[in-house]
Amino acid sequence: MRSSGINKITSLLVLVFLSFSCSSDLDFDQIDDLKLEPVVVANLTYFNIPANDFVDNGNEQSISFDAQDFNPFRNSLMREDLMKTEFNFEITNTIIRGYKIDLVLIDAQNNTIETLSFNAPAYSGNSNVLKFTEVFENQRLANLKRTAKIGFVITMGTGPQLTENSLGNLKLRSDATLYFVIEE
Amino acid sequence: MRKVYLIILTFTHIICFSQSKQLLYNFTSIPQSLLVNPGADVSYKYYFGFPVLSGISANVGSNSFSAYDLFADNGVNFNDKIRNVVNKSTNKDKVYANQQLELFSGGFRIGGESSKSYVSFGAYQEFDFLMYVPKDIAILALDGNRDYIGKSFNLGDLNLRAEVLSVLHVGFHKKVKENLVVGGRVKLYSSGANANSTKNSGFIYTTNGTPDTNVYYQNISSNLEMQTSGIAAFTKDEYDGNIANDLIHNTFFNGSLGLGFDAGFTWYYSKNLQFTASIIDFGFVRHTKDIETLTYKGRYEYDGVNPSFDFTDEPENVLDEFEKAIPRDTLYNKYTTWRPAKFNASVQYSFGESRFDDECSCKPKGERQYLNAIGAQFFAMTMPKDPFVAFTGFYKRRILKKLELKTTYTVDSFSYKNIGLGVSGTIGKVNLYFLADNVLEYRDVTKANSMAFQLGINFVFQDPD
Repeated sequence: MRSSGINKITSLLVLVFLSFSCSSDLDFDQIDDLKLEPVVVANLTYFNIPANDFVDNGNEQSISFDAQDFNPFRNSLMREDLMKTEFNFEITNTIIRGYKIDLVLIDAQNNTIETLSFNAPAYSGNSNVLKFTEVFENQRLANLKRTAKIGFVITMGTGPQLTENSLGNLKLRSDATLYFVIEE
Repeated sequence: MRKVYLIILTFTHIICFSQSKQLLYNFTSIPQSLLVNPGADVSYKYYFGFPVLSGISANVGSNSFSAYDLFADNGVNFNDKIRNVVNKSTNKDKVYANQQLELFSGGFRIGGESSKSYVSFGAYQEFDFLMYVPKDIAILALDGNRDYIGKSFNLGDLNLRAEVLSVLHVGFHKKVKENLVVGGRVKLYSSGANANSTKNSGFIYTTNGTPDTNVYYQNISSNLEMQTSGIAAFTKDEYDGNIANDLIHNTFFNGSLGLGFDAGFTWYYSKNLQFTASIIDFGFVRHTKDIETLTYKGRYEYDGVNPSFDFTDEPENVLDEFEKAIPRDTLYNKYTTWRPAKFNASVQYSFGESRFDDECSCKPKGERQYLNAIGAQFFAMTMPKDPFVAFTGFYKRRILKKLELKTTYTVDSFSYKNIGLGVSGTIGKVNLYFLADNVLEYRDVTKANSMAFQLGINFVFQDPD
């Protein structure tokens, strides 16, 4: 008698307990909607050339050139999930000569993809800070992703003779803003 | 539909498992209460657990968000839900799961009929998972660094441990005096799989540069390490086995071994005022099988791709430099992990003499049982950051001679309104118990921050009254 009493009470308790249990509808498929959209800023390139670097043994160097490997697109995140990027350039020229700065985007086969050209006028005593923004989206971005090297070409315009004692600098600061969309 | 959810829930519970077993603690009509206090005042002639069904316990918890917050079918964009969860969490919030399944258990009294010495033994499988909310890393993944110039993203937020292990144990407890029971247990751990990444540090930092430097000063300092045992083999391309089968095999027969101890006591200040305390899983596992430790350690300052027009500098290579500065290294060193040690203590005051003994006046008065007990319990467990602590008030009531109810009110970091209900009944020789905490949350389990239950069946043989 007692046993069956216990049995009943136990069953009842468990039943009551479980029937109190409710739950809202959950939808675990929402995981598929996961979409990360981080915006990352990073240094792009920087140089700061004093005026006397354009003079070598008293002779003006009117063209300077360098190339650097540029391989962030070896990274799959950069290749596949980068949807847009902006390159921001800030050029400050305090040299009494004008300059043309070319950034040449070069692919792995040494073909030029695109050349970004900026003109910095000669310094005349006034503030000479120039800002440029290049936006890469769609086809232009697809092209950019082929970049393996960047060539830097600085061409000096005509003007007063520079000497070893000439003052001023040609400075370029730049950064990239990277817009990612990361989905499954 | 409700049934389906119940089944899923039950299943989830069995798959996942908190270790604050406030209902089981000192619930001495359940032999498994010896597992949370080897010095519990449990007596039997002998008992054995119904194989695989004697002790099933599960506990899941997440103190800053619930399943509902993430997966509610309410039309809110999933990414917004994630953002909300990340925003309201801190790097001390955690997601926790613990599951235990007793495979077999038993115990017997040693010595003669008047002896008060008991042996108990058994084996159980345990899964344990703990992860802190990696808040800074989540923000970086969600938002990037653009809007966080000057913020140092803490890589130490990455903090997790997970383990599957089997435990073989033998315990002994003895009523050394009329008012004192002491007990201890030796445990042999066999860890089938372990992942441990609890001592990370480092940062990702971007701030504005000065006019004569780069646009940004960007720095990564990384001291990341993930130790694993019993997992590396599954991650190799050439692995073509069955992970579940191999994991089970490793857990029981080919695991990394460890050793642990439990100890506890029950002391009666007077017949109806009782104090208990125990320490559980004071032990370690020495990981030696299929070990692999992955590290990313180093510092890197990113300056961009900068030309040099003097033709002397070496060409730079950003990715290579990064990989050189913070290399991914794989080490094969043995390592030791400490089991999460748990500390329990309780005080209990009993009142109202049981009338169920009326039929039998043969029992000495001192052994009479009380109808009611109230008391308080304290629980603490070691964790990689702050220890987990819980305070419980309880009321225990004997409804019938062999049917006891226990209700608990627990305050811990997961919840301040955790009400638990437990029942243990003995029908003939069969002891059944069912314990569930956070019963208020059963109104809508999806919104619960933590859930736990335990159930089991034992066969208990006492001396005839």
